[in-house]
Amino acid sequence: MNGNSARLQRKMKTAACLLIAGLAVEGITLQWAHPTSFLLFLILGGILVVAGIAVYLIAIVTA
Amino acid sequence: MANYAAATIIVLSIILIGLLLIRPSITAAQGGKIVAFIAFFILPVVATVLGASIHLENSTSTQFCLSCHVMEAHGKSLYIDDPSYLPAAHFQNNRIPKEQACFTCHTDYTMFGDVNAKMRGLQHIYVYYFKGAPDKLALYEPFKNRECLHCHATARSFEETSPHKEMRDQLASNDMSCLTCHTKVHDVANIDKKKTWKGPKG
Repeated sequence: MNGNSARLQRKMKTAACLLIAGLAVEGITLQWAHPTSFLLFLILGGILVVAGIAVYLIAIVTA
Repeated sequence: MANYAAATIIVLSIILIGLLLIRPSITAAQGGKIVAFIAFFILPVVATVLGASIHLENSTSTQFCLSCHVMEAHGKSLYIDDPSYLPAAHFQNNRIPKEQACFTCHTDYTMFGDVNAKMRGLQHIYVYYFKGAPDKLALYEPFKNRECLHCHATARSFEETSPHKEMRDQLASNDMSCLTCHTKVHDVANIDKKKTWKGPKG
């Protein structure tokens, strides 16, 4: 495994962790109709998912 | 239905991402790259958009508004056993949908009215968590006749009755508020002294 490939896999792992966390937050908040859940979905879930997607896109573009 | 679709997409996305996390070598093949793109990009975007739309839809429900402790008294006011109270009369006689009671009267009936209502909702959350709810809740601006006229305008019971027909133009231009005459609204300060309706029988 060369350095490039290792870097790509590290970024993919980071993206995967961010996305799993974000999607889990989104899934949990969808079970609860409350302003707090809306806020958590938007701020916590949304940011984690966007960050995960961004890390993934950066990883494949720079690979 | 949308809830199930969102849950399915989220679970599928998590499974695929988990699989790629455990077996990163899958992405070496062309098919694996496509699966990774679907799992890391397409499915999370679809899940987030669908989830946001479900949350926005939920936020129009009466249950959503009354889930905040500070709105309890307003919720109770929908059950005041006196037809002269506007919200109670509308709620109890199905003049507004019971499951969207707050939203029906408190959204803006304009092009971006729903967006404005959501922004105000976010402002409520901000105020609640960071400044504390005020002792006396009040609207950010006076209630506009436009929201009443959205349903009442052109209704025969409104247009042909006195004094509405005589002051029709003033009401349309907001020079006179509907609440000038219809003064009994939520009256939360006296809510505990009011007799309440127990809901439909059966």
